[in-house]
Amino acid sequence: MIIDPQLGSFFTAGALIIIGLFAALFIDNLIKKVIGLLFIADGVNLFIVTMGYKAGGIVYVFLPGMTVDWFAQNASYPLPFALVLTSIVIGASTLAVMLSLIIILYKKHGSIKASKILGEKGNQTQSKTPGDKI
Amino acid sequence: MIEYILMIVAVLGAVIALTQRDLLKTAILTGIPGAAIAFLFQFLLAPDVALTQAIVGTAIVPVFFALAVKKTLRMEEE
Repeated sequence: MIIDPQLGSFFTAGALIIIGLFAALFIDNLIKKVIGLLFIADGVNLFIVTMGYKAGGIVYVFLPGMTVDWFAQNASYPLPFALVLTSIVIGASTLAVMLSLIIILYKKHGSIKASKILGEKGNQTQSKTPGDKI
Repeated sequence: MIEYILMIVAVLGAVIALTQRDLLKTAILTGIPGAAIAFLFQFLLAPDVALTQAIVGTAIVPVFFALAVKKTLRMEEE
């Protein structure tokens, strides 16, 4: 192959972040917006894990028979992995909070379109002018 | 070679999940990029992250979306 797996994983993370940004900005459905945010989180996790990768290396488990110098040269860097582990679980819980807020918005407005919830134009500043009802 | 297939599956699964009109299909197809990224973590020498991502991204997240779709509208509005 022309590109190595590390470079390909960086491109994959970038593509996931771009797809997620497009969905969060331009799709009018609230559930698809939340899916876009989820793809952004996946892309960032993949980016951080890819930075700790070492080509031709081993998993960071110290087994008998290894010397410390050989292990330090060949094992992948384990600190980002431990932090990404926390990030994945926190991402799932914030996803649950976002979906429950969507359910509350649906019960109040009867729709899950962002343009219908925010009003026709999508801005609420015009309704605060004096002489305007509501 | 498997890594490159998994990268393509992750990106294509994300695009296909976002282009469905039935939101329940969207919720189920969200598991495909999660599973592909979990296998990709295994190939990137991070097996503990791969285990967590396999459970969270493949099982828990689509179930959350399916519950939200059940409580709200199933088809996307015009």
